[in-house]
Amino acid sequence: MADPNKNPARGAGKKAAARERIAAKRAAEAAARAAEQRRRRTVLGGAVAAAVVVIAVVVAIVVQTSRTSTDADAARPDGTSAGGNGYTFTVGQADAPVTVDLYEDFQCPNCKDFEDAAGSTLEQLAEAGTVQIVYHGMAFLDSSQNDDYSTRALNAAAVVASSAGSDAYETFHDLLYANQPDERTGSGLTDDQLVAYAEQAGATGEDVAADIRDLVYGEWVKGAEDQASKDGVTGTPTVLVDGTKLTDLSAAGLTAAVQAASS
Amino acid sequence: MSSDLVRPWLATAARLLLGGVLVVAGALKLPDPAEAVRAVRAYRLLPEAVVGPVAFGLPVLEILVGLALLVGVFVRTAAVAAAVLMVVFLAGVSSAWARGLQIDCGCFGGGGEVAAGQTAYPWEVVRDTALLLVALALARWPHSRLALSNRLEPVHG
Repeated sequence: MADPNKNPARGAGKKAAARERIAAKRAAEAAARAAEQRRRRTVLGGAVAAAVVVIAVVVAIVVQTSRTSTDADAARPDGTSAGGNGYTFTVGQADAPVTVDLYEDFQCPNCKDFEDAAGSTLEQLAEAGTVQIVYHGMAFLDSSQNDDYSTRALNAAAVVASSAGSDAYETFHDLLYANQPDERTGSGLTDDQLVAYAEQAGATGEDVAADIRDLVYGEWVKGAEDQASKDGVTGTPTVLVDGTKLTDLSAAGLTAAVQAASS
Repeated sequence: MSSDLVRPWLATAARLLLGGVLVVAGALKLPDPAEAVRAVRAYRLLPEAVVGPVAFGLPVLEILVGLALLVGVFVRTAAVAAAVLMVVFLAGVSSAWARGLQIDCGCFGGGGEVAAGQTAYPWEVVRDTALLLVALALARWPHSRLALSNRLEPVHG
């Protein structure tokens, strides 16, 4: 047998092996190219996706900001008190030693509970010259079922105050809580009922009915809601006695807090 | 063996759950931007100038991350983003809870004011923690069935 290294067949095998090596190398290069291409596509896709995210967020911020900006020319009620950015109505003597801030929604059942329990006590304290009551209206319980009653009620209250003053606001406020429709099953008071209570509270001006029906202070109601949010109020009723949140919402709790604040 | 068959389907389920929740949660915050602003403000964590952009931008982020998960593109990135969102939400809700604020998380629209005693912090924390774990698992094992990226970029092996 000849030297295997000189075997021509063996030489052919060598060539084949070389070809295989070259093919493998080419395949590896092709795979690397494909991987590079994939990587580029991923980077490109990621960049496009990131751009889409940024653009969508910016567009949303611009659109939603314009949707929430309130009309500066919107009607504002007369008779609001100082210090509430035009969203509060105050009753009681100016030299009263204690200030009680009330944040309420006319549709809120817990507010009615508070009014039933301590409302008359609070008003007696105001009449006695001990407290000044600052009413902050809120409107966040609008629904299709109650035909946006929270907004309609607060608008009507502003109409009453604007035409007949803060004391009429208080009377109207008491009437609405005494006749509060059920939050879950009620359909809100009708505009006719609101007009009737406004009249009962002393708002008899000729524009009162129209202003109630036309939601003339609708934009102002939105502003009032935002103001309460900016004041840090997140629940109703929120009762502040000289700025301190009242936790015991009973008549006794209110009286005790007012006494502590005035002494 | 069987886990190799099951795991991609679990990842698909995770994608649909997480993506669905995020898209719904984001979409519900868009119709009433004023409410969204109040919901963010109610946490009392951000300066007033930042409240608006966060209230308007966050829902869009939720929707986009959710959509990526639903259709199955950039799944790992989206899962990480979802996990980050959940951590942010958990931090917000926990801090509101710890500070005794009476707010609704506003997670699915709404938010801000609630009547006394109507907070739901424990449930909100449990839900967000569960979603965080799902997002982390998906970030670890993002390969799933019925993903658009599988068609664009077949994964072998």
